[in-house]
Amino acid sequence: MSAPAPPHYTSVPAWAREPVVEPVDHAGTSHSVLSVGPDGAAAAAHWLDALGCAGARVRHHDCADAAQAVDALETDLADALVGHRVLVAGSAQACLAVRAAAVRAGLSDAELRVAVTTVDERSVWCVHCHATNSAAAELEDVLACAGCGRTLLVYPHVSRRTGAHLGFMVDAEGPA
Amino acid sequence: MSASLSLVVLDAVDAAPGVRSLSLADPSGATLPSYTPGSHVVVEIPAGEGRERPLANAYSLTGESLHPDRYSISVLHVPHSDGGHGGSAWMHTLGVGSQVQVLPPRSAFAPVRPASRHLLLGAGIGVTPLVSHLRSHARWGAPVEVLHLARPGQGAHLDDLVELGGDAVTLVHDRATWLTILRGRLRAQPMGTHLYTCGPAGFMDTVVAEATVAGWPAGRVHLEHFGIDALAPGEPFTVGVDGDVLDVPSGVSLLEALEEAGREIPSLCRQGVCGECRLKVGSATGLLHRDLYLTDDDKAAGDCVMACVSRAQPGADGRSHLEVLL
Ligand code: FES
Repeated sequence: MSAPAPPHYTSVPAWAREPVVEPVDHAGTSHSVLSVGPDGAAAAAHWLDALGCAGARVRHHDCADAAQAVDALETDLADALVGHRVLVAGSAQACLAVRAAAVRAGLSDAELRVAVTTVDERSVWCVHCHATNSAAAELEDVLACAGCGRTLLVYPHVSRRTGAHLGFMVDAEGPA
Repeated sequence: MSASLSLVVLDAVDAAPGVRSLSLADPSGATLPSYTPGSHVVVEIPAGEGRERPLANAYSLTGESLHPDRYSISVLHVPHSDGGHGGSAWMHTLGVGSQVQVLPPRSAFAPVRPASRHLLLGAGIGVTPLVSHLRSHARWGAPVEVLHLARPGQGAHLDDLVELGGDAVTLVHDRATWLTILRGRLRAQPMGTHLYTCGPAGFMDTVVAEATVAGWPAGRVHLEHFGIDALAPGEPFTVGVDGDVLDVPSGVSLLEALEEAGREIPSLCRQGVCGECRLKVGSATGLLHRDLYLTDDDKAAGDCVMACVSRAQPGADGRSHLEVLL
């Protein structure tokens, strides 16, 4: 990490601020490997090699987008047993969306590994109109909500259950 | 430390060889404080009859946890030859009408709320907190499975397990069979399951080792240690107090080292359960908390320590030191 995260960033994983490739967890007894997009596929190749060498049980899903990866993961986890691990490779935005599906299925952070290729794009959920924006934005940037047009602050809080950042009107406290 | 409750024994039965089950109630019949399943109470044991000083023992609550009219505990008699200090022997002398001082329930072994399923692994008297978990899961209809190891013809609460858990309960009487079943069950739990284990230290070591091999991350494995288990002697460290520096060798507790240096520290249980010996920490290279008293938040804050069981841990420079404020 370049700089330590400010204290109010606790819900933003370090890997959503700077790309990182986490190693395979060989303590797992079976693994779902999900790659999103061509960069994700390239990043996942090292994992597949490492798991292949170890003779691990692997389900690999090469996905076009995050929604496809979420579907594939939900299917895998429906009959997964404790001991299973999930590895996600792709943009931070895709990894956050897949992590959210994993959390909803009862997975803990210790059972998830990511390979993040870029942190440029983020999902931002508008607290005013409930639209989810997808935009190139840094934490604490502002953007125009595609749903209601308000100027949203990208607050450094990520929902574990949706993977979106919290967005609210930047001058909400000023005079209307 | 919280004020103790004055209770009387309502009911006392020999539940199994070496195990006495007691029900403790308020003398006026008032409802007692509710507790989280898996909680324990600490019973104060007076000095005398061979006990040099007062003692205090922790016992898991096995009964109804919501608005209870009694606290139910089961006491295994631990003879001196097995490392007992006379506390459980005294507990076995109690009969209906006997008076006891009890510290209010504390939770150090609660079921994890978002878990989708619970696997309870007990041995011997380690059944007691698991009965409490099972009672709660049965009430809320939570998916649960119990594997319990007890010597043939022995073991308290086995009937409770079967009554509460029915088909979800497997009772085993020999270790080889237990290990075979354990290995299978650890590999058959749906994602989202948490496991809870209570029993002798060697038993729990086996559970942890087998769970690790089966791919269980540590966050899904929950242990309840008995107060009676001897703790590891620990590494030596130094303690600073009012400008003095004392050595605390391996096998000597922080409490004992301070007492030897002539400091008076209140203490009761000397096994990390009663809360009496809590000390303020000014600074520390690191803290190894081994008590069942402090909350996780207390432990994370790093500004207090239970002197009877906890120790300093090495910092980045390899030195182990802590400053206490008396
Ligand atoms: S004397 Fe009881 S916790 Fe230390």
